[in-house]
This record gives sequence, structure tokens and C-alpha cells, in this order.
Amino acid sequence: MENKFKFVELQESNSEHIAAPAYSYWGSVFRRFFSSKIAIFMMVLASAVVIMSIVQPTLSGYRNDYMPNVNNFSLHFLRPSAEYWFGTDNFGRNLFDAVWSGTQTSLKISFISTIITIVIGIIVGAFWGYSQKLDVILLEVYNIVANVPFTLIVMVLMYILGSGQPQLIFALSCTSWLSVAYFIRVQVMIIRDREYNLASRCLGTPTYKVILNNILPYLISVIVTLVSRYIPMFISFEVFLSFIGVGLTNKTASLGSIIQQYAQYMESAGYLFWIPVTISAIISISLYIVGQTLADASDPRTHMI
Amino acid sequence: MRAVVSLFIVVSIAIVMVFLLIPRDRIFENDQSISKLSGKKDLLAAYKLGKLKDLGYLDYKAQKEICEINQASKDCFSAGSSEINELIKIYEKDGYTINKTEDGFYYVVKDYKTSRLILNFYSNLIKIDHTGVIKDPNNLELERKVYFAKDHNGMLSIKCSGCENQYLLYFNGSFPFIHQNFIKLNFGISYPTYIGLNTFSVISNKQGELKNKEITFETGTTAKSAINLHSCTYKMTEAIDDLDKAKFVNNYAKCTSNYTDPSMIEVSYIMGILSLVFSYLISIPLGVVMAKERGKLIDKIGIIYVNLMIAVPSLAFIFFVRNIGSLFKLPDKFSQLGFTDVRSYIMPVIILTLLSTSSLIIWVRRYMVDQTNSDYVKFAKAKGLSEKEIFNTHILKNAIIPIVNGIPSSIILSIGGAVITETIFAIPGMGKMLPDSIKAVNNNMVITLTFIFTALSVFSLVLGDVLMALIDPRIKLDNKGGSR
Repeated sequence: MENKFKFVELQESNSEHIAAPAYSYWGSVFRRFFSSKIAIFMMVLASAVVIMSIVQPTLSGYRNDYMPNVNNFSLHFLRPSAEYWFGTDNFGRNLFDAVWSGTQTSLKISFISTIITIVIGIIVGAFWGYSQKLDVILLEVYNIVANVPFTLIVMVLMYILGSGQPQLIFALSCTSWLSVAYFIRVQVMIIRDREYNLASRCLGTPTYKVILNNILPYLISVIVTLVSRYIPMFISFEVFLSFIGVGLTNKTASLGSIIQQYAQYMESAGYLFWIPVTISAIISISLYIVGQTLADASDPRTHMI
Repeated sequence: MRAVVSLFIVVSIAIVMVFLLIPRDRIFENDQSISKLSGKKDLLAAYKLGKLKDLGYLDYKAQKEICEINQASKDCFSAGSSEINELIKIYEKDGYTINKTEDGFYYVVKDYKTSRLILNFYSNLIKIDHTGVIKDPNNLELERKVYFAKDHNGMLSIKCSGCENQYLLYFNGSFPFIHQNFIKLNFGISYPTYIGLNTFSVISNKQGELKNKEITFETGTTAKSAINLHSCTYKMTEAIDDLDKAKFVNNYAKCTSNYTDPSMIEVSYIMGILSLVFSYLISIPLGVVMAKERGKLIDKIGIIYVNLMIAVPSLAFIFFVRNIGSLFKLPDKFSQLGFTDVRSYIMPVIILTLLSTSSLIIWVRRYMVDQTNSDYVKFAKAKGLSEKEIFNTHILKNAIIPIVNGIPSSIILSIGGAVITETIFAIPGMGKMLPDSIKAVNNNMVITLTFIFTALSVFSLVLGDVLMALIDPRIKLDNKGGSR
């Protein structure tokens, strides 16, 4: 009975150590992200679409004005088949090539506009959240811009600037950064005066460390949410604007201009119209869901078990 | 006040950008008269300059006009006379550019500066009708008075003699029932589409076929006619002919006609209001139920729906829903059944409704969830109230606040949605007018629509604030708090 207990030597270094599970921010983010099966599926889909839209157009060399089969009427309006996966159009062009070339343009426009919007938005928003003087001016500007329907702003800007890719990117990101900045401002204002940040400041932590270690992890999920909202929104706008003829012209293949071009065949050759429409929907949905799941995963609060 | 300032700024920016950045040649691209004048250099230049003057780009005066203004002698009208040369020098000092036609006649041109463009727009914007408006040299003894009288329907109305309009205020059976002509908005002329009309009349005039009916005119003659007697405006005496004399006792003989179909504003308005009401009727119960059943099946389905609505491009969504509608034999173009058939409105209203539900649902749900976590709900629970009692008497009362607060942003959203939906269904409303006028390079129309849409959104925000203050006694509309 006596030897059931035995003396253990006191280990001073171990007693100093606080028992806590090892935590790595990005490790938790990825663990959390890959726990969702839908997200993995959507990520595979989204990356397939993105890779396809980068690789396929360079292989096919599709150009909207290049129509080698324009006089070969046997190749016009072919329904989707093993040879022509998406069929051919009124000039004998392969819709498969057209769609991927168009996807590339649409993705490019929406990615660039999103990057511009988000980057400017974050930088301005961070200053906005900290500076009182800037707050007075920018709040007025924001109130004016936020009151106007975004569709109206983009359309009038496109009307003034004329159709084209750089113009479209400019029109899309011209005012949208303001609402991002406003959003970031609010977040920064909420987080910057929290007790733990005040405590860090009192303990002498430099501001950049406060921003980097305390504020940024919280903002990452917000930023990813914003990105995942803006990408589909900009794709949607490109498609719509090109459809009504103020975005890109027929000369550039984009999802919007392709849909616009084939809208007249909706009844007679429906596949020409519905395939690009479906592709645009698939792209937006997959990118959006990947973004949303990533945003959830990157929120440190969800890492608590 | 803030609302007016922001409206002013937005519209001013639009005016400056439209007038300065759009190449003037583009305006004339769609005008057929230009091709008729090709080859006749002077006539073409005069035509273009005249149009630009009408549109408010510049000031342009031909030699004839210069002489008439300065009341010069007959000598002035001939080419190269000494009198015109002197007059031209005055204009040159004023900053006008002097040009000469092939025949040697002068004409002077001066572009308006940016500040002048904006000033011109706002100074012409509001037109007030009063007894001194009409200046007819052939009818000097025109009576000038405002008086009450019965109109041809036997309703009381305010009539005027000496004003532009005969009726200043009248009632009739068509929307909005009370009509006034005291103040009119004037945004300039529409060009190159709807030539000869004001942009505001284009969107506010009735559309469709002429509506003929038996009319008894003031002189007693009866005829089958489409004339809208309420719309009559002053016609110069020199333009009055025998036909007019047979119908009218005075100079108010320039009338517009009755048409069968509602105006663009009315069409957009009907659809907008309907879809706004429906989207609230759908979103509020759905959001409440989702908040109640948080984490359960109905909540998950709702969230999937909202996410789909955000992610799917609106164009793809509209085409998809429209196709479902065609399965039920609903028209996919508005013109197929026209204004009179209810079925024309069903699909556009459904789509507009669905487009605005997603943000509303998520808002109502979030608000309800926040409320259920608040202290007063916990206290009510501690008191021993049932879930139902808490929801119906405590939370719902508070939830009306976000519902009211969401109205402005719903209106702003539905303007964007209306542009897309009306374009796809080819509905003759204001929303479709925007892309149409952009394609036709109708500058004034674009500015007009910018003004109207911005005004709508800005004032809906003000309305939201006022409603909030009415509903929630805790909120006060003073200058101290709030920043809208």
C-alpha cells in the first residue's frame, strides 16, 4: 500500500509553463477551411475555372474577329457535341473557346477592380479610423456617394468614358472603395479602443505591433468577406453592362459581351445563350462560397473550441 | 438640407462631366438630318451650332440675329458692311470666336464655361407659371388674372389668363388625381431621340395610342377627339387658325392629347412600389422565422438562398426566372401583352421583389438574433414569459425599427434593379430609358435621369429618418446627433 505514491522531484522550469494547446493562426484557418466539404469542392471548381481561363485562351488563340469558318456553313450553329463541347455560333466559331476567352476577360476585370477597391479601401479606411480630421471630410464625401445608386454611377461613368476595359475597371472601382473604406473605418474604430489594445498600449507595445498582431487578424476575415462579395458583384456588373452595351464592346470577348451577342438566339439556338450565362453563375457562386468559407475560417473567434 | 446639398453636388458633377467629356460629334451620330445636310458646309455648321445652343453647350449668333438684337439698320444685314464689322468687334471683345460663312456672313460662337453650365442648368430648372409669362405682341389686351372656375368636367379648378398654362390646378380621375401647373421642372430638350420634347415631358407624358372620346369644346362644338383640355397652353395669336377658333374661345389652344397608356414614371412607379411591398411581405416573416429557428433546416435553406442571390449575376438570375415564367405562359417581353394586361407585370414584379429580398432577409434575421441576446429579453425570460409572448410583444416592437430604417436602402437598391429588369423585359419605364439614352447619346436625358434617381434616393433617406423619428420616440431629429 505504501508504494502506491512516490515522491516526484520539483521541476521549476515546467511549473513556469502554462498548459495551453499549441496555436497557429494560419494552421487553424486551413484546418477550419478544409473541414467543409462544400468549400473544398467549390475551391476545386473555382481553381479549375481560373486555370482553364488562363490556359485555354492561350492554346486556342481565340479572337472575336477571327472567323476561319465564316463561309463553311456546315459548321454554323452546331449543337454541343463531342467535337464542339459547347457547339458553334453563327460564324462557325467554337463557343468553348469563346467562353473561356470571355471568362478570362471577365475574371481579369473583376479581380483587378476588386484589388484596387480593397487596397485603396483598406489604406484609406485605416487612416480614416485613426484620424479625426480625415473623418470629417471623408464622412461628407461618403454620405454623398452612398446616397446615389451604384448602378447609376457606373452607367453614367461608362457613358462619359466610353466602352473599354480600363474604363470599365475605373468606373467599377471609382466609388466602390469608399464603402470599403467606410466599413474598415468602423471596424478599426471598434477594435482600436478595446481593452486589450489599451492594455497593449499601456504596456508599451508599439502601434505597428498593435495593428499587426491585434487588429489585423480580426480584419482579415472582414477583408476576405469583402473580397468574396466584390468579385461576384463586379462579374455581375461587367455582364450586365456589356449586355446593355455600355461595358465592353463586341470586339472584346467577355462573358457579358458574349451573352449580349447571343441573346438574339435565345429561342433558336438556346445553348449559345445559356452556356455562358450558366458559366458566369458557376464562377460567381464558387468564388463566393470559397471566399465566405475562408472568411469564416480566418475569423479567430471561430478557432476557439 | 444635407440631402439637397448632396443632390446638388452629384448632379453638378454629372453635368460637368457629360458636357465636357463627351465628344460633341457623338451627339450628332444618330441624327438623320445631318446626312441630308452633308455637302452643304455652312448649313451643316449652322444646324449643329443651333442644336448645341439649344442643348446649352454654347452661345451662337448668326449675323441676322446680331443685327436684330442691336436694332441696326438694313445695311447691317448685308455681307461685309461697315455696321456689322463694328458690331462684330464688340462680340470679339466679349470672348466670342468670329467665323465667316462662304458667302461672307458673320457668325459668332462662345463656349460656356463650367460654372456657367451649372448655373444655366439650375436657373432653368424650376419654371414658375405666373400671369406675366405670356408676351404676345398681337394680343396686348390679354387679361391677366388667376381665378376659380369649373372645368369641362364640372370640377372646381384654378384657371389663369396670362400664364403659360390655362389650368394651374385641377382634379381628374387619373393618377395622382390632383394636378398642378404652378411649378414645372425643366431639364432642357431631348436630343437626338424624342426630338422637340422636354426630357421631363418624355418620361412624364402618357404613352401608347390616342384615346378618342366625345368632347364638348368651349365654343359648344362637339367632336370625337383625343385632346386633353386640361393640358392647353397659350398659342401665339399669329399661329391661331380657323380650326382653333372653332374649338376655343381664347388663345389657350395648344393642347396635348390623351393617350391610352401610363407614362414612363408611372410604369416604373407602379412596379417599384408593388415590388417594395411584396419584398417586405416576404422578407420580414422569413427573417423572423429564420431567427427563431436559428441553426435549423429553415434557417440553413434561407441562408443558402441569400448567398445564391448575392453570388449569381443578376442578369443570369433574371433570365433564369423569366424562363420559369414562360413555362406558365407569362410574356417574356412587356410589349407582347401591353399595359392593359395584368400578366405583363407579374414577372417583372416577381423579379424585382426577389432581387431586393436577400439583403432585407439577412438584415431582419441579424436584427432579431441580436435582440434575442439582449438584456431585456433575458429579463423577460427570467420573469417567466413564454417564447411566444417575448417574441410578439417585446422583440417585434423593436424590430419595426430596422424595417423602417431599411426602406431607403431598399428604394436605392430597387432603382438599380429596375434598370436591369426593365431593360431585359423591354418595359417602357424610366429604368430602361437610362441605357437607351446612353446608347443614343441623349445627354440631357442622362442628366435628367441622374437627377431624378439621385433625388429619389436622397429623399428616401430623409423619409427614412423622419419615419424613424415618428416611430421611435428615443430618436430625435436635431443637429446634434446622427450623421446622414
